[in-house]
Amino acid sequence: MLPKGFEKQLNILDFSLSSLWRRKLKNISIMLVFALVIFLLGSFQMLTGALTQSADAVLRNTPEITIQKMSAGRQEAIPLSYSEKLHSIYGIRAIIPRVWGYYFDESSLANFTIMAMDTNSMPNGNKLDLTLSYGHFPKRTEPGTTVLGRSVQEILGLGTRRIFSLFRPDLSLKSFEVVGLFSDQTDLLTNDLIVMNLDDARDLFAMEPTMATDLCIYVANPTEIETIAKKIAGLLPDTRVLTKSQIQKTYQVVFSWRSGFASICLLAALIAFVILAWDKASGLSPEEKREIGILKILGWETADILAVRFWESTLVSALAFIIGCTAAYMHVAFFDATLLKPVMVGWSVIHPPFKLLPSVKLADLLLIFSFSVLPYLGATVIPAWHCSTVPPDSVIR
Amino acid sequence: MLIELEKTTKIYNQGKPNEVTALHEVSLAVAPQTMVCLQGASGSGKSTLLAIIGCVFPPTSGRASIAGKQLSRMPDRFLTIHRRETIGFIFQQFNVLPRLSVLDNITLPLLPLGVSPQERRKRARKLMHQLAISHRENFPAGQISGGEMQRVAIARALINTQPIILADEPTAHLDTRLSMEFMKIMSDLKADGKTIIIASHDPLVSEHPAIDRIIQIKDGRIDVP
Repeated sequence: MLPKGFEKQLNILDFSLSSLWRRKLKNISIMLVFALVIFLLGSFQMLTGALTQSADAVLRNTPEITIQKMSAGRQEAIPLSYSEKLHSIYGIRAIIPRVWGYYFDESSLANFTIMAMDTNSMPNGNKLDLTLSYGHFPKRTEPGTTVLGRSVQEILGLGTRRIFSLFRPDLSLKSFEVVGLFSDQTDLLTNDLIVMNLDDARDLFAMEPTMATDLCIYVANPTEIETIAKKIAGLLPDTRVLTKSQIQKTYQVVFSWRSGFASICLLAALIAFVILAWDKASGLSPEEKREIGILKILGWETADILAVRFWESTLVSALAFIIGCTAAYMHVAFFDATLLKPVMVGWSVIHPPFKLLPSVKLADLLLIFSFSVLPYLGATVIPAWHCSTVPPDSVIR
Repeated sequence: MLIELEKTTKIYNQGKPNEVTALHEVSLAVAPQTMVCLQGASGSGKSTLLAIIGCVFPPTSGRASIAGKQLSRMPDRFLTIHRRETIGFIFQQFNVLPRLSVLDNITLPLLPLGVSPQERRKRARKLMHQLAISHRENFPAGQISGGEMQRVAIARALINTQPIILADEPTAHLDTRLSMEFMKIMSDLKADGKTIIIASHDPLVSEHPAIDRIIQIKDGRIDVP
């Protein structure tokens, strides 16, 4: 035997369900529109999470400080002799020259990023192999070897082949062997990447052996990064000194700004929906008014009618929330966020496609819940209070 | 007395330009197991009197005691609770929820009382059997005949075993045969101990032998001929 109060709530919930079913066309329409708004909000949230997660995964291995030579406001190759000037700075653990640049593949109209550095000399360089789905990074002793991003392998149509060629600036061909492939978890930053030996990269870009694109600095104590960066900037005034945190912040700002902009647009849609819900809830149809009058004269209290409204709104919004969030996850996980990815990664970049790993955090779900379900409940239950004060004698008069 | 009104006055919109006095110092006493017919022209105060007896709102002044409880200063919530325990309403328009089934309509007053579904069904089926509408149990109430709808309204008024039945023009939409049937059911209910007040102009009601008393209302006052 259930307690009376609990039985009463069950009865009211039962009545709410049947009431929703009686107006199924109207309620299903509201629920679908609501689910669509939640789907868009959820997709953005999950897409932003996936992008920043991918960026974080790769940026974890970026050098603590990067030095680039600047001339006339743009970057140019840096002489290796610059590294000798830094030996006087206490706290530098390693200085690794890096060569990188872009290679435009005319047949596929895609840009590949070429990156070369001596991973053997890098602190924790052996850990870089963890970012690969198989193989290892090119060693100094293995000329002509490369590690490829997944799209590069696809675009070059390598299949099971391990050998491919790229053009030097003088249009002569240079052959490479694939010794590793990046994992899909780092797709965002490695999808278009070809990693090779320093000498091979210099050869491919026709760069002097005494030059590099930039210098990567690793420090002994991470808390001293900013101090060392300042000292480097003082010693090498014609360079730009970038710290790891600055680079990470740039990525975060880019994605956060884009997602923030998109979210503002979507919030406007959500507000419009909530206003519509408020309007609908506060303006009762004659049939609804009559129904409330009948219930009140039959002994239903104002709180009982409010409870019916509350359960109706909770059921509609909870169902819309579940459908919206599930659809958002499927959109990001299985359909690569087709509808929204251009907004987040930009339309103008010739970019090989990359795979997204959706991130679902409880905090994100709570945020979507707070911005969708709670305003909807407020917008429907608060005016319902006004409506439930319909005088019961309205049905006798 | 089951119903006692003493110098009961009801003023709508008191203190406002559209103030209306619907009842003027009405005094009335109704004993248990009595059937009373209320008569009066439209706007005479019939519905207001029914509403006060039905615990829908308290009077503006005077005394109103229904089933032993004073309504005068009763808060709205307690009025509602007293109403659902004491009064069964039957309306002119039947006031059933057309999309709900007959069974669900009849059990509506029991939902906020926390009565279990099994008990609700048991009580409703007993009444449906008595009123010969068992075959309509799962029909939407909007799809049954006027006479059947009237019986649904009667069953709903009786489901919580309330001692007082108030009916407002219950035969207005019924033909002669159904009106006679309705009065037969009311007579049986009176015999079972119910107190019934029917507001009606229909001679089939006012001239029915089960009616114990006819009360005429004119301009908010009980008109003593």
